[in-house]
Amino acid sequence: MTSSASMLKPAGGAGASPLPPRVSDWLRASLRDGSVIRWTGAAGALIPVAALVFILIILGVKAWPAIGYNGWGFFTGRVWSIGNLYGNPTSSGGVEHLPGAQFGALPSIIGTLGSSAIALVVAVPVSLGTALVIVERLPRGLSSIVGAFLELLAGLPSVVIGLWGGVTFGPFIARDVTPFIARNMPNVPVLNYFRGEVGNGQGMLTSGLVLALMVTPIIAATTRDLIRQVPILPREGAIALGMSEFETARKVTLPWVGGGVIGAVVLGLGRALGETMAVAMTCGAALGSVPTNIYGTMTTIAATVVQTVDGAFQDGTGFALRSLAELCLVLMVITLATNILARLLVRRVSGTALPVGRGL
Amino acid sequence: MVGPALPSSPAKAPESISETGSTLLFPLISAWAQKYQSLYTQPPADKLPLVTITTGPTGSGVGIADATTGTVDIGASDAYLSSAEKATVPTLENIALAISAQEISYNLPGIKNLKLDGTLLAEMYTGKITSWNDPAIKALNPGVSLPNMKIVTLHRADGSGDTFLFTSYMDAQDPSAWPVTNVSTAATFPAVPGALGEQGNGGMVAGCAATKGCIAYIGVSYETQTEKAGLGQAEVKNGAGKFVLPTAATIAAGAAGFIAKTPANETISMINGPAAAGYPIINYEYAIVNTKQTNGTVAEDIRAFLHWDVATGQTASFLDAVNFQPLPASVVQLSDALIAKIGA
Repeated sequence: MTSSASMLKPAGGAGASPLPPRVSDWLRASLRDGSVIRWTGAAGALIPVAALVFILIILGVKAWPAIGYNGWGFFTGRVWSIGNLYGNPTSSGGVEHLPGAQFGALPSIIGTLGSSAIALVVAVPVSLGTALVIVERLPRGLSSIVGAFLELLAGLPSVVIGLWGGVTFGPFIARDVTPFIARNMPNVPVLNYFRGEVGNGQGMLTSGLVLALMVTPIIAATTRDLIRQVPILPREGAIALGMSEFETARKVTLPWVGGGVIGAVVLGLGRALGETMAVAMTCGAALGSVPTNIYGTMTTIAATVVQTVDGAFQDGTGFALRSLAELCLVLMVITLATNILARLLVRRVSGTALPVGRGL
Repeated sequence: MVGPALPSSPAKAPESISETGSTLLFPLISAWAQKYQSLYTQPPADKLPLVTITTGPTGSGVGIADATTGTVDIGASDAYLSSAEKATVPTLENIALAISAQEISYNLPGIKNLKLDGTLLAEMYTGKITSWNDPAIKALNPGVSLPNMKIVTLHRADGSGDTFLFTSYMDAQDPSAWPVTNVSTAATFPAVPGALGEQGNGGMVAGCAATKGCIAYIGVSYETQTEKAGLGQAEVKNGAGKFVLPTAATIAAGAAGFIAKTPANETISMINGPAAAGYPIINYEYAIVNTKQTNGTVAEDIRAFLHWDVATGQTASFLDAVNFQPLPASVVQLSDALIAKIGA
């Protein structure tokens, strides 16, 4: 294609001027000396960095007027209101918005952290157990089958899990499980969050459990790959000293990969913090609601954004969208902060930055 | 009719137009689209429609937003455009297609025709009244044995014309209980423990059916579903202080007083009307269309389809299934005048 095009082109000329160097020649030369590989490699390496910086800058620019108008009240306010849609836009401090616009992210932030905490509390023990069993207990054939299922579960679209959680799982636990717990839980601090109204199955607990299901395969698969790399000798030594299998796992195997496991948990946490669809379908979508017990309806940052973005587009002043951008910025900061914290923790514990193996 | 010249059939070239928005209007506009596509097929008379019309129940908020940005050709909405939206895109018009209403549903087995008014509803939705056997509810319903059950308020989580109608009604009945500043398609519902946000009218029906003690506002086009789900329908207090159920007669009676007042741009609230026999939560269903289209064929097809909707589509065979009322002749003329403005 290239060569035929370049052959057609100079045909109209006087014929005296030499042909320009052909593209294919240039390409062949640069492939030979490796500069193509070098440059595409450099570009490829830069794109992720550029993307992160670009997203942060764009979010920051979009959110800037909202940050100014909402102030610190953004983190303490509980009302998320785009204002009077049918009123005339007003302006305060040079920022145009609808009258009565008020944006408080506290319920979303609490919901995000709360549901992710439930997810980790459930998922971490389950994942460690799964990983240990796959590596140390199951026969090779069975272990690879279980491992394959684990990876399939990790690849399940979140909307599928959300539909199941909202339509089947949530109503099931609200009918058959949580009323029993709510009745019998002692009325003491912490545990009294398990008492009271259980609702219809949409809320913090259902969201947390659905998230647990989604992060378990991530943590388990990564931990499995880590445990596989623990040398056999220390473990055999532990058993030779008379340790039980549980003691070996607790004292030798898991500490060996401790930093990596923390990294794996953070990978899972990152997923839980940002998960949108499954949570939006199971949280009850109660904007502005801070649940009074663990079953209460609530919302998360991601769920708030997806539920209110269409309404925000109706705000002619665009301020509602700016506030959503600010909310997204908060989510990004939370996610980045947990990641950085985990990296520091991992480095302190083990000296390697992130889990080796096939992070999902 | 002395009205403007409107195409009676779509343009000759095959074209497709898209619609998203109101879940309340969705069943009707889908039925219209289906019929319309079967009426006009490509020559030779094979099965392919001349105009392919895609419809989507996404909520009025999306309908307005998508029509504003030009993502779709027709945005469906139960709410008229706000002045801010009009200011953003001055060529947007809201064109009335039919008269609709909203029912107040609840899940209290065995209790029929509960009487409710705007003040009570506002107090439920703001968490001031939390139990079904509250004295205030009993006062309106003497002789009804109300259970000691928690009230679970359901509201729309998506931007919704139904939310606009419902908040309009509460505000019209009692501005001190529901402020006018919180009347909107994306109204803010105070955090009431256990309150649920739902997607679309379908989500409201399913959510209410699954939740004993719930209260919900649902478009009448879903009346068949709410009946099947065993939900009760409330008698709602109108502007004359009477309690009425949404029926064909009460919806028509409620709308009657607003017909002559409908302005040329068809932007009018028909909430809480003064007619004694009239249902108080009624509205025009709107097509939100940009009158300045980029493609002449598409503009012609939108004109033809919308004109067909208000001229031919107003029969009982379409409207009865969704419990809507036809537009009176005078409003059809207003709609046609707006439709005629659509051009490229």
